Amino acid sequence: MADFNVSSRGVGSVNVLDLKGYLDAHTAPELEKAFNKLIDEKSFNVIVNFRDLNYISSAGLGVFMAYVETMRENKGDIKFSNMKENVYNIFDLLGFPVLYEFFKDETEALDKFKVQG
Amino acid sequence: MKIPFKDSPRNKKLENLVITAILIILFRLIFPSNSSAGVYTASEFLLFGFIYFAALYLNDFFNVKKYAPLSVILNIGVLTAIIFFILSVSGNSSSGSIPNTTAVESFFYMLASFLLIGGLAYIFISFRYLFFLRQKKNPGKYFNVMVLFLVISYFLNIVDKYFKESSFLWEAFFAVSIMLISINSLRVSWIAFLTKKEKIYLLVMSVVIAFLFLRIASLFDAKEITLLASLKDFSGGTWTYMLSMMIYGAVYSFVIFFTALFHLPTAEAFDRKAEEVSSLMDLSKIITKVFNSKQLADTIISLSSKICNSDCAWLVTCDKDTIEVQSTVNIGYVESEKITQKLLLEINEGIDETIILGKSSIRIAYENDLKIYNFSSIAIAPLMRHEQVTGYIFAAKKNNTVFDDEDKKAISAYADYAAVAFENARLFSESIEKERMEKELEVAREIQHKIVPSETPKFRNLQIAARFKPAYEVGGDYFDFFDISDEKVGFVVADVSGKGISAAFVMAEVKGIFESLSKVISAPKELLTCANDILKRSLDKKSFVTAVYGIINLNTGVVNLARAGHTPILLVSGNDVNRLTPNGIGLGIDNGLNFNQYITELEFKLNNDDILTLYSDGITECKNLKLEDFGMERFEKLLKENKSISLESASDKIIESLEEFSKEYIQHDDITLVLLKWGNH
Repeated sequence: MADFNVSSRGVGSVNVLDLKGYLDAHTAPELEKAFNKLIDEKSFNVIVNFRDLNYISSAGLGVFMAYVETMRENKGDIKFSNMKENVYNIFDLLGFPVLYEFFKDETEALDKFKVQG
Repeated sequence: MKIPFKDSPRNKKLENLVITAILIILFRLIFPSNSSAGVYTASEFLLFGFIYFAALYLNDFFNVKKYAPLSVILNIGVLTAIIFFILSVSGNSSSGSIPNTTAVESFFYMLASFLLIGGLAYIFISFRYLFFLRQKKNPGKYFNVMVLFLVISYFLNIVDKYFKESSFLWEAFFAVSIMLISINSLRVSWIAFLTKKEKIYLLVMSVVIAFLFLRIASLFDAKEITLLASLKDFSGGTWTYMLSMMIYGAVYSFVIFFTALFHLPTAEAFDRKAEEVSSLMDLSKIITKVFNSKQLADTIISLSSKICNSDCAWLVTCDKDTIEVQSTVNIGYVESEKITQKLLLEINEGIDETIILGKSSIRIAYENDLKIYNFSSIAIAPLMRHEQVTGYIFAAKKNNTVFDDEDKKAISAYADYAAVAFENARLFSESIEKERMEKELEVAREIQHKIVPSETPKFRNLQIAARFKPAYEVGGDYFDFFDISDEKVGFVVADVSGKGISAAFVMAEVKGIFESLSKVISAPKELLTCANDILKRSLDKKSFVTAVYGIINLNTGVVNLARAGHTPILLVSGNDVNRLTPNGIGLGIDNGLNFNQYITELEFKLNNDDILTLYSDGITECKNLKLEDFGMERFEKLLKENKSISLESASDKIIESLEEFSKEYIQHDDITLVLLKWGNH
């Protein structure tokens, strides 16, 4: 079965989650674990880097919906970056771009967090 | 060697026997005395025939496969007693010569002789049965050689009678026969399989029988018994045969006596082992048949209590910290539970193998009373499943006896069996539960298929075809059509995120929402906004629903539609396929945003033969083994290729292509396809 991997790294006050592979109902719990860990650490500024993510299913999308509220309540946010076109199309069809910020590159997202301070 | 008449039916054998007996009587009437060698020889042959047929007939009453040596021994004992009785009452002849007999007397002699010969044939067959009993290899040839020598000895009597100088021949063969009898008598392995009680019984019986045989054999030479004396004179062969049977009997009885005697000390251990083996066999049979835990526990505990001679025993199952007594022998449920708690608390460490505790007195409070149990030995065997303890077998002794290693092994074996049996019973009930779930799912599937239109409705100017294929028994896709007014028809295709039962529940809710909203709100944008408000409250954070809702005017072909995060609507018009993707976010996705603000409604007019295509992402994201998507391009190409054929055929073509594409890969998402063709001809 398709693999999925999530790794977290800190860039200043922001945490970046690097996603890799296929994010679906089977692998979504791994991403949930990563988010739970960030919340435990009180890191609410999160950038999700999609550079190596090839596929996302509705269960994968659900994970972001479940955690964005918590992040925003704590004056943080989840921002997306480096998304492949096919993955972006899925987000786009569902109307995510009105609800989340998407960036071509991670640094742009980092800059945005800096501006928001 | 083929034995003549051996395979004829039983009544045929009896017939042969009776005919021979009649022949002998007739022969005797014609030749009252053995006047010549010829007559004597003929008489000997006839008698041999009688013995032979008697043996053949009686042999059918024995079945070597049946293990019943004691009843055979008893029969031998009774028969020898009868023979002894006949010989005793047949009268003494002090002179040794044959007294003049009356016709009646000679008739009785004849009858007695027949009975004797028949009885001895029975004894001979009994020996044969015992000889072959419980023999692993076929020792037939030893027995056959012995029989051969006996037969030769029988006929050598004729020679012996008329050629006195060659009597050494008979003596030699008879001696060899006796030797062979002695050797064959040593085959008594069946004794080992008797229980202790049976061995004692056999010991006593063998003494009695040995005495009887010896006593009768001693009569043979004494010439005191008229019958025997006359018999020797009358038929030396029969006399030899009877004598050899007596010797066989005597030797065999002695062998039995000593074998049984030597087996007695080990009899108890043998009994115990045999019982263990047979009860374990019973248990393994039960394991595969009984799925009732209580019954299993009862059987296991009563068997293990019996095998290791415990005064009381009980079986408990434990689940985390709670223990439950399943079955007890000679002890109450409440007491055994309290003792178990006490014991497990005292040991206070994991028991992962059978342990034997020494003397211990256990005090338990029972019915406002203090009860003391003094045990001399307690065995505790854990029931293990995947290295986890699922219960224990307890066995206890009271009267200064202790459990030895054998008991320990036996209890361990029972505990292992019990663990397997309980696991089996558990798996069985689980499989029943699974079956029940499958049935429920089947019902759910039927209900869901009733929720979506089973037949596509017919409207003027508009043809409709629809396909609905959940990935599992039930799914989260939904489509429907609504009569709004005489000229307007509403249509919807929705897709609940996730799959299976959870999605199916939401799907049913979605059906209710669209069904009722379609009656009160005509504008698609407002309707979806309203649906979003309702769904937001009931959906969990991670779930959402995508939908397309539209209205078509049956007179004009004008379509109004709005999309809430759903896959693009495909409009097949002329040679083009247009993707219509008006703005709109999925239902239940917005958190606090104004859904209404981000959704746009599309209005356009259909031309003749335009096909409006609505579908769920199960089609475009349908995967093959390489995890490639079926994709929009393939889908659009299919739509173009099949735009001219009937809508039903086009739908079938599309579904077939999807199945062909993903035939090596399981369908992982629900598939819905709705085609609407405008035809204002």
